[in-house]
Amino acid sequence: MVRRILLVLIFVACALVVVGYQATRPAKSASSPRVFVPSAQFFTDFSPSFRTTIADAYWLRTVQYYGEHVTGDRRFDSLWPMLDLVTRLSPHFVRPYRFGAFALLEAGRPDLGYELLKRGHDANPNEYALLTHLGFFVYTYGSNPDKDVLAAEWYQKASELPGAPDWVARVAARLLTKGGERQKATMQWAQIYGDGDQYSRDRALVELDSLLPVDPAARQREVAVLAEFVPPYLFDEFSRALLGGD
Amino acid sequence: MNEAASGLSALAVVDLHKEVRVGFRGRKLEILRGVDLNVDRGEVYGLLGPNGAGKTTTIKVALGLMRPSSGSVATGGLGRESIGYLPENPYFYDYLSGREFLHLAGRLFGLDRRQRCDRVEHLLDEVGLNDAADRHLRKYSKGMLQRIGIAQALVNEPELVLLDEPMTGLDPVGRVEVKRIIDRLREQGTTVVLNTHILADVGELCSRIGILCRGRLRWQGPVAEAAAASSDGLEGFFMEVVGREV
Amino acid sequence: MKCSFAIALNTFKETIRDRVLSVIVVFALAMIVASLWLATISLEQQARMMKDFGLTAVTLFGLVVAVFAAGNLVRKEMEKRTVFFIFSKPVSAAQFIFGKFLGLALTVFLVVLGMGVFLFFVTWLVAGEAAGSVLLATLLIYVQVVVVMAVTVFFSTFASAILSSVLGVCIFIAGQLSHNVLSLTRLGDAEVLKVLSWLVFIAMPNLAAVDAKPSVVGEGSIAWGHTALWLGYLSAYMIVALLVAAWVFRRKEF
Repeated sequence: MVRRILLVLIFVACALVVVGYQATRPAKSASSPRVFVPSAQFFTDFSPSFRTTIADAYWLRTVQYYGEHVTGDRRFDSLWPMLDLVTRLSPHFVRPYRFGAFALLEAGRPDLGYELLKRGHDANPNEYALLTHLGFFVYTYGSNPDKDVLAAEWYQKASELPGAPDWVARVAARLLTKGGERQKATMQWAQIYGDGDQYSRDRALVELDSLLPVDPAARQREVAVLAEFVPPYLFDEFSRALLGGD
Repeated sequence: MNEAASGLSALAVVDLHKEVRVGFRGRKLEILRGVDLNVDRGEVYGLLGPNGAGKTTTIKVALGLMRPSSGSVATGGLGRESIGYLPENPYFYDYLSGREFLHLAGRLFGLDRRQRCDRVEHLLDEVGLNDAADRHLRKYSKGMLQRIGIAQALVNEPELVLLDEPMTGLDPVGRVEVKRIIDRLREQGTTVVLNTHILADVGELCSRIGILCRGRLRWQGPVAEAAAASSDGLEGFFMEVVGREV
Repeated sequence: MKCSFAIALNTFKETIRDRVLSVIVVFALAMIVASLWLATISLEQQARMMKDFGLTAVTLFGLVVAVFAAGNLVRKEMEKRTVFFIFSKPVSAAQFIFGKFLGLALTVFLVVLGMGVFLFFVTWLVAGEAAGSVLLATLLIYVQVVVVMAVTVFFSTFASAILSSVLGVCIFIAGQLSHNVLSLTRLGDAEVLKVLSWLVFIAMPNLAAVDAKPSVVGEGSIAWGHTALWLGYLSAYMIVALLVAAWVFRRKEF
């Protein structure tokens, strides 16, 4: 009986030590901004069967890394290597391109963000979102004087991809207008009128009204050219709205 | 196993030697040093000897569980499909019920379903395990295990039965039942080789005996002759034969 | 064949009663916890993470069950002396080895399939994706695991249970790196090394030639022609391993 009580007491004491020690450990400090990230080639050479699993593990690590440092020291030294690894091991994993581009932007490296998006587009040509992000990067951070038109091209390509929402085409058209490409802009708006919903059609008419020549004859000529972009069953209404009258 | 040596012989062992290697350096140990014995068809033959004499090894070589180093063993042209074997201190699959275990034995002998069912029920009745047939073997007593062991040795209605210490762990009732089974086997013309320490049983059951000691057959002949050769009966004769070699 | 099936059925009963199916329960619990955790840290990539990590877990759990059961398969019969019961009957070494293997393969099939089906349903319920490709990938994982099991059975005919199991795990890893060994056969000038590397390449099972996991998460698709060829290769490999195991076992004395 005494031995049993002693064993119980020893057990309780040891359990308290175990719990107490663990409970008093300090919280995990933020990791160093520099972490070891093997090259993608290493994993490709040594583990072809678990590439996507490793990519996923590093994806989780990347999200944690970003979260720690964006609220902490704002140093992202290893962000690019991690994103590079994840996207090389799993090129069709789209989220890292999208999240990574903006994370790199936050890290002060829009150039790397752009490169990441381009790589993502090459591997996933049917993902419209990557193209819209490319357009955004060019428009916002590009230094080319024709950046509006260049951005518009990305948006235009995006609008042609399956699943692209209506606003993508509208953005392309606005950028073309802003970039001084009046003719291209009118064609884009006409396309939007033909493909879009009621809201898009209303927007298209407003924009075209300001883009088309005031002169009725010139306007009529240009509206006629736009017939190519508007389905026949909509064209009458389209031309009446822009030319006025019956 | 070699083929038939004699039409009347169920088991013919000629100059059997068996060596094994033991220990880290593989030291040679001679277990059988030239055993010559002969068991006639239809008889109950007792194989006697002190511990370590080589009785079990002789049986195993006869069955093909071990290979002879030299010499020969012939089982009267009988293959394993016609031989039944009860090992010493048998261990069987304790997660099976008695009935399942006997069915497994029947399947291994290639019996079809109907033959198996008939045989299994008959044997359960014969060894007095009807009531325990659906209990798992792990719940069997030593005596019950011994009896189910004898049953599995008889599943194929063998012409030659090798029983290694069949009385081990049996209570007096169990021993009487086993003796009855052996008597019935003899009446059916089945050859029985009985490895045993219990000289009283040998006297009751066996027609001939062989006494093994230190890997050699020291004496072979009718039980009656052995019993008459010593004033102390069979036990006295056994001690004389074995004592000479100690 | 009847003997092999009888031994297979007996082995199945033995391994099933070993509570090996509780691995499925452990896996299920781990998946549930993991899915809740992944939902918070994967930035809405829960479905992909669950499928990918889930299939990796199926592989690892399945492998552990298979190699540790296979390592013990033959050894247990010898230690418990049930080999006397088996081989006193007209059962050949090959029938015994194939029967033991088949029985365990059936048990492992239930375990792996159970985990795969559970993963399928959890992914469907939690992430809203009914991915049939998960089940297909599970079957291909099963094939890999069973090949490793066959090699482990071979080891178990002459090595201890623990050593056999560890060697089985090593074979699995080596099988994933098969292409690296192939590269070795082309390196350097020493013909002896090239020949040795080639022999090692042939001896190791090529487990990485087809991998269904990437296709489950949208990285590529399964080439069915090549997969059929690979399955044929692995079946032949298994048979060779088991026949060699039977040959080694035949030489044993009890």
